Amino acid sequence: MDSPNTPLRSEAQRRADEIGIFNTELARLEAEGVLRLDAAQQQAVREHHAALLAGFAGRFDIDRDLQAKQLSLGMRVASFLGALALAASVFFLFYQFWGHFDETAQVAILLGAALGSMGLTVWIQTRDASGYFTKLAALVAFACFVLNLSMLGQIFNITPTDRALIPWAALAFLLAYACDLRLLLAAGICCVIAFVSARVGSWSGIYWLHAGERPENFFPVAALLFAFPSLVAHRHLTGFASIYRVFGLLCLLVPMLVLGHWGYGSYLADYEGFTTRTIEGGYEVAGFVASALAIWLGARRQWPDTVNTGITFFVIFLYTKFFDWWWELMPKYLFFLVLGLAAILILLVLKRLRRVGQAAGEGAP
Amino acid sequence: MKLTPWKTFAAGALLILLANVVALIGVYLNRSGEPDSRLTLSQRELTLPWGWGRAKENSGMALRLNWRVIDAGAGEYFGGYDVSGGTPEWLDEARMAALGFDTAAPAEGTAGRRRFERALPREIVLVLELAGPAWQQALERAQQNAARHEAARLANADSKEFAAKAKRAQELLKLEETQNSRLFAIDAGLDRAALRAKYPDRSRFLILKATLRPRLTMHDKKTRVTGHVSALAVTQINVPHALRPLLEPALATRRRTAGDAGPHFEATLAVGQRLEPWLESVLATR
Repeated sequence: MDSPNTPLRSEAQRRADEIGIFNTELARLEAEGVLRLDAAQQQAVREHHAALLAGFAGRFDIDRDLQAKQLSLGMRVASFLGALALAASVFFLFYQFWGHFDETAQVAILLGAALGSMGLTVWIQTRDASGYFTKLAALVAFACFVLNLSMLGQIFNITPTDRALIPWAALAFLLAYACDLRLLLAAGICCVIAFVSARVGSWSGIYWLHAGERPENFFPVAALLFAFPSLVAHRHLTGFASIYRVFGLLCLLVPMLVLGHWGYGSYLADYEGFTTRTIEGGYEVAGFVASALAIWLGARRQWPDTVNTGITFFVIFLYTKFFDWWWELMPKYLFFLVLGLAAILILLVLKRLRRVGQAAGEGAP
Repeated sequence: MKLTPWKTFAAGALLILLANVVALIGVYLNRSGEPDSRLTLSQRELTLPWGWGRAKENSGMALRLNWRVIDAGAGEYFGGYDVSGGTPEWLDEARMAALGFDTAAPAEGTAGRRRFERALPREIVLVLELAGPAWQQALERAQQNAARHEAARLANADSKEFAAKAKRAQELLKLEETQNSRLFAIDAGLDRAALRAKYPDRSRFLILKATLRPRLTMHDKKTRVTGHVSALAVTQINVPHALRPLLEPALATRRRTAGDAGPHFEATLAVGQRLEPWLESVLATR
């Protein structure tokens, strides 16, 4: 059994990648005559790395070379699709047969499936060095628990409530953090997004299922998710901080994009002086500013996820604006030429931004 | 900190058990004591949801509660069909204000009207009455409607159009007498206890949670502040396994014509302390 200090799989993989990069660069430096380690040092480094990699490989089935890495990508995709398919299968299996059992048996089956799949996930985790099978089992466990509570609601005609999202989110986070699974982290974050936006909506008296009809209800959860990795360190969990930030930005920029074209859905439309057109214009500007800020902040803090999300939305905002302005007016060849030129302009700006960032990095002590 | 597998399992199992216990305690609390209401409904008020026959991969069975409203704006279809929801005549400005909507807004002009109509649905407590004055009113209107069209047909003996309208009015009357739901939404509020005190007959008045969306309608060139009762909180009622053998043969029989009332059954629907319904018993009557 792993001790609490054992690195996670993602951490081990990152270290293995860094060892590979180090060895390549060291060989290059030696060939160029810049640095030459003596035989004893070379032997010590080699042995240390070999021991580390053997340990990682034994425990985590990490990718030790490029070919293994390429195969791993395929395995990740297969594991993700398999996990979704198995989760769907659990839903349909229960629906196919649940009517043949009495209520006690139905509850026992639902509870047994949730507990059993949870146990199976933990059991597989102790035996699956690759993590792919753990991911499959964890998503099935999450699906079983979602099915468990939603079917209890159906069997006993319980009034639907947003409070069900709390235990679902808790289980998803537990599996994500315990098994180092980003897919389950995303599932947990989705539950948190739904819960917080429903609560924000219900503060103004809205029935919780309709909270999504006011896209601004997602702004508080956007701030919460974006700030969370800065408040709680995720150094040992590769990619977790990025997922929080990306979901935070999605909760900010998608509602802005929607409100940029549907001002009628905004809370502001209730007030005199805010015409639908004014609101849409305001959110278009806000969308440009927010995505530009995301690019700037991401470049400054070296968060590639934030930069990429910011760029994606900046381009979407820009292209939708171009479409609004010029699709009807311009010949199509000219419209697409403008889009192409805009892309080149964005590339030049980003290139400059990168150069400034690099210069600042080199100037730093 | 990394959780050990055993701690992960213990935490997960505890969470799953706790969530189930909380949900089942809620069910127990709802069904403990004397039900808030207990009504004997028939196939007129309880029907299979749309598409149930096609859902071959769902072995469960649930019934949809058919309820109606007397809607002034619905013309000859005053009592609606068996569609759940509508804009009731009794839902006036005072009631909408009591339900928490800003009814002063429409008088403020265009912006106020927009603010009122844009308001999103709120949860309310809805009172439904079985075979009461509202149903009698719908029945009387159907009778008057049929009589009016029949008189028009007699006055225009050669007209196919009048004959068709009279036939349709007779069909509507027949539906009203034999098939349409007798369950009508008659009042709404936020205080459940006050509503129960106002409607104390627990075998006639059903109190359930529902959602209400504000609406402005035009009547005689005047804007009327009202609302659309859009849905009950619990839209379908699960049929317990023990009751299925009694209900399945009745529901399996298809109506041969529109005039055929189909199989008959009576079911006792109870509503508990948390206003969540359940089926207590079923009796096939034909």
